[in-house]
Amino acid sequence: MIDITLEVNGASKTLSVEPRRLLADVLRHEFGMSGVHIGCAHGACGCCTVHLDGTPRLSCLTFAVQCDGASIRTVESLGGSEADHVLQQAFKSEHGLQCGYCTPGFLMTLAPFVEEMVAQKRMPEEGEIREAMSGNICRCTGYQGIVAAVRKAVTVGLDAGAA
Amino acid sequence: MKAERPKFIGARIQRFEDTRLLSGTARYIDDIVLPNMLHLNFLRAETAHATILDIDTSALADLDFPTWVFTGKDTAGLSMKAHQDVPEMQYSEQPFLAEGKVRFVGEPVAVILAEDPYKAEDAAELVFVDYDPLPVVGTMEQARDPEMPPLFDGWKGNVIVERQMKGGDLAAARAAAAHIITRTYRTQRQAGVPMEGRGVVAHYNPADRVLTVWSSTQMPHLVRTYISEELGLPESRIRVVAPDVGGGFGVKGQVYADEILIAWLAMKTGRPVKWIEDRREHLIASIHARDHEHTLEAYVSADGRLLGLKADITVDNGAYSTYPFTSAGEPGMVGKVLPGPYDFQAYEATFRAVATNKCAIGTYRGVARPSAVFSQERLMDDIAAELGIDPFEFRLKNIIRQFPYKNVLGFTYDEGSYAQSLEQMRELLAEDIAEAEVSKSSATRRVGVGIACFIEQTAHGTPDFTRRRTPIETGYIAARVDMSPDGEITIDLGLQSHGQGLETTMAQVAADALGMKPENVYVRHGDTMTTPYSVGTWGSRGGALGGGAVHIAATRIADKLRTIAAHLLQSKPDQIDLVDGRAQVRDNPGSFIEIKKIARIAQRNVEQMPDGMTPGLEAHASCDGPRDGTYANAVHAAVVEIDILTGKTKLRRFVVIEDCGTMLNPLVVDGQVRGGVVQGIGSAMLEHFIYDSECQPLTTNFADYLMPLAPEIPNIEVHHIETPTPLTPLGAKGLGEGGAIGPAAAIANAVGNALGTGVAETPLNTNAVWKLSQHIRETA
Amino acid sequence: MRPASFEYHRATSLDHALELLHEFGEEGRPIAGGQSLVPMMNFRLARPGHLVDINRLPLGGIEIDGQVLRIGALTRHEAYFNDPLIARHFPAFLDAVHYIGHPTIRRNGSIGGSISHADPTAELPAVAVLHDADIVVRSVQGTRKIKAVEFFLSAYVTAIEPGEMVVALEFPLPPSASTGSFIEQSERSGDFGTASIGITLQFAGGKIGKAAMVCSGADLFPIRAPEIEEFLVGKALADPGAAEAGRIFAASIDPVDDHIASADYRRGLIAELTRRAIEAACTRALDKS
Repeated sequence: MIDITLEVNGASKTLSVEPRRLLADVLRHEFGMSGVHIGCAHGACGCCTVHLDGTPRLSCLTFAVQCDGASIRTVESLGGSEADHVLQQAFKSEHGLQCGYCTPGFLMTLAPFVEEMVAQKRMPEEGEIREAMSGNICRCTGYQGIVAAVRKAVTVGLDAGAA
Repeated sequence: MKAERPKFIGARIQRFEDTRLLSGTARYIDDIVLPNMLHLNFLRAETAHATILDIDTSALADLDFPTWVFTGKDTAGLSMKAHQDVPEMQYSEQPFLAEGKVRFVGEPVAVILAEDPYKAEDAAELVFVDYDPLPVVGTMEQARDPEMPPLFDGWKGNVIVERQMKGGDLAAARAAAAHIITRTYRTQRQAGVPMEGRGVVAHYNPADRVLTVWSSTQMPHLVRTYISEELGLPESRIRVVAPDVGGGFGVKGQVYADEILIAWLAMKTGRPVKWIEDRREHLIASIHARDHEHTLEAYVSADGRLLGLKADITVDNGAYSTYPFTSAGEPGMVGKVLPGPYDFQAYEATFRAVATNKCAIGTYRGVARPSAVFSQERLMDDIAAELGIDPFEFRLKNIIRQFPYKNVLGFTYDEGSYAQSLEQMRELLAEDIAEAEVSKSSATRRVGVGIACFIEQTAHGTPDFTRRRTPIETGYIAARVDMSPDGEITIDLGLQSHGQGLETTMAQVAADALGMKPENVYVRHGDTMTTPYSVGTWGSRGGALGGGAVHIAATRIADKLRTIAAHLLQSKPDQIDLVDGRAQVRDNPGSFIEIKKIARIAQRNVEQMPDGMTPGLEAHASCDGPRDGTYANAVHAAVVEIDILTGKTKLRRFVVIEDCGTMLNPLVVDGQVRGGVVQGIGSAMLEHFIYDSECQPLTTNFADYLMPLAPEIPNIEVHHIETPTPLTPLGAKGLGEGGAIGPAAAIANAVGNALGTGVAETPLNTNAVWKLSQHIRETA
Repeated sequence: MRPASFEYHRATSLDHALELLHEFGEEGRPIAGGQSLVPMMNFRLARPGHLVDINRLPLGGIEIDGQVLRIGALTRHEAYFNDPLIARHFPAFLDAVHYIGHPTIRRNGSIGGSISHADPTAELPAVAVLHDADIVVRSVQGTRKIKAVEFFLSAYVTAIEPGEMVVALEFPLPPSASTGSFIEQSERSGDFGTASIGITLQFAGGKIGKAAMVCSGADLFPIRAPEIEEFLVGKALADPGAAEAGRIFAASIDPVDDHIASADYRRGLIAELTRRAIEAACTRALDKS
């Protein structure tokens, strides 16, 4: 067992973990972040994507012990219980989700992408959006609603910047 | 009585369930955590066919943590029994844990429980099974070989069931034919793969004698029934809960042995027991789908009229029969649906399921129809090519145009838009067709256009299942609608929603019937304690039958609201409209009472109700499918661009024209169609569950079992025609599966069109397309 | 699908990491991005007793060191996309990294990890073999440089000994009149390739001087194509005989026939990718000259 301190969605906690515990499991069971979903446990579906020190990371390919001192964000931090983050709202209006299981992973993968596009003040090409989500599998939507949601979220961001 | 114009049915309303799903606050099966819980790990067969000589669990005693282990000896007699009640069927049972023999790689042999899932996995590694291998039945040919040993004691050979369906005079059709075209088509074995795997948590409370089972299932009530029958508990004391379910696609539309086994283990150990399926288990041992071979013989007149069709259908079923649709379901469905949207008068299908040492075939989006439509629509193109007729022309020449239409097997089709959708599709594709024609001169790059025209029997009802003589038996969906004293509405729905948006669409239906807003309606589902008995969500029945049940129940409450309103407003019930939260007199809208006030009167100020009226505003209704279901129709089209020298096939365009009757919510309809199409694209081009000759699975992870990713997929263009059916209360036909039914055929026809060759099988991956292009490279 | 038990050690310096790896021998494995190792551990196909976490060591970076471009073992795949040195000196390398995985994998995966994992058709091993990179490996005994062509021994098998770890790759800088290309085909974008071909060319006077070619998918590790490299010498950039080169090469290989692709297809695909990679490199050379 190793003592580690993680800051998860703003709250820090020190805990003792077995080295082999996956970050995904520790976030789910020790921090109660059940929005972290495990879809394949071998790094091939993107469901478990979280932000580790600000960038997307597959929490099924990460051991919690590796993250001592790190800051982690999960989907719960994005727009709270009302899901009012611009990308979450866009997923809703563009029907970018159905069963919702892959959704937290898509949101955590794509939220930084949307921010980056807004910062660059440009609307990404269709292919660029699809490439940005190429590590995430959605079995329900056929991806189209998710592409539309990204476009919508970028539009909202660009409009806000222009205003 | 005048029906109010629907206000919410047909509206593109954003889904209510989304907030929960987007915020990470949804509760899926792995989020069910109980105190004192044990975690289960399956020890699964590593050999496809073997006698179990010994299971050595002695090493578990040396562990420094407690474990519980159970084998087939402990669960002897407990099994899944899924039989079609016909004399032709050879029965088999699937023991909860293998007894004496294993019959496919992945079959559960033992369970190991521990207080931590990592430790349960550690412990499972210490259990050793000694197998004595038996000859493997690995192919359809081997399964039909009478020399091969049967998989089950007492069986004669490995053909599980072989039956026939026929109609009309096939010999006469054959005799009259100017052309006889015979082809064999194959569709590969696949896995359904919802992004959330399956999982079960069970807890038994001996004080109340209540067993609670949480399962990621599409059919909680049927799970309850099977548990009751197998474990001898009253259904009243069993609560099955499907929490948020992360996709089903039919994979979760069977009752699995593990669901009952884990309930049994919870009772046996006196502790809550949890099992969360991992991806490898899901791929090798939940259910598989497709794996068909169809040989079709078409009889065609000199002027291109289809006179008759003869079909020989084999499904490689794997080892066991799944509950409740059985191993007879898949081949029987092909035999039944092959006549499709075409008008011909002679048909004969021989269909069989054969047993092999593989995972069982079960229901996956489309159920048999992606394979049937692949063969049907490949055949239409192959006939058109042989006769030198344009594929659209040939279909239009044979398409059914008069409704209702009684087909060659006696099934009655309600009205659809078959010819109209074909004509419309031809217009949409005109430029692509021209480009494909031009590209035929190229030896390096070809464009191809292919279509699939099909019908889909949806909303199967009790008469259909009674005919099948399988354990499903019934097909109704029930709903209970309740308006509380504050005027808010609760629907307890017999369906289970796992992505279909039923929490929104059912609210739309109730809101229209009751003159309220969808926001006033709370839809609960998935919990047998609160919801009325129903068969679950599968078979494209939710909107048509669930919507129907909600409509009927809500209308009963609406009638009562009108009666009370008429009493209070001194009008007549048939003069009262329920609109925008008010019950108002039709010709005098100024005379109204708020519906929530009536709701209060009906339950709190009951003295104001008409004399003799029972208090309360609740109604239970069920809606069964029509005798032959209701037939949705669609035309799918694919435009492909093929790099002849590498086999790389780009899907440039995919177009759908679909007719599901009344659309409850176009946002949801489009989502269902697009999602289904992309699964169908996976079936057509990528997904293949492969066994080697010893029936060892080779595609047991997501690097080997390839599903569509965003970059390969084009936007799916969806066009709607709405032909409401008179056979369901709202005019809705089913739509959940249709998207997945056409793509294999459309894409194969597009590839065939591009390459100027027939296409006999899927998947059309790069290797397959490269092989099909051989003739072009050779002549270049 | 959870890993077996192991002990975890965070290396505080390179020497510390090497001491730990020395101590644990066969049981020790360095972990960087974990994008290849952890899936194997979750399937329990890899079960190291000790993981030595090197992520916090200063082993990243792309820099010129004399006549070589030195890429530190912890350099993440996404770093290549906007690196001016890669763009300027190694066009085939830059082509190749576009085929690596998906954004999250590229952000976290490292070159040291990819090289050590040695997937048969991974891009970076092929790139290393193509460019005659030296793989710099260290242990407590010191440093050894292993030629990339001698490093990959089979699928997932390398010349790394217990106690050793990859610390950098050194790519000899090509002369200015040189270019290259890399083409891969996979079933889906981001998958490991069914096959890939990389080419580098030196050129003068409209002709090919020295050439190098690598192929993944023909064997269990990336192989060079010496006969094609010889064949290309002296060929006109405008007419390098690329199709013939593809045919010759395809006839010389004996690729595996399995459930992913038939040997015939692999051979045919490799012939065509060879042609395209040569033509793409020649086009670039013509643009540059």
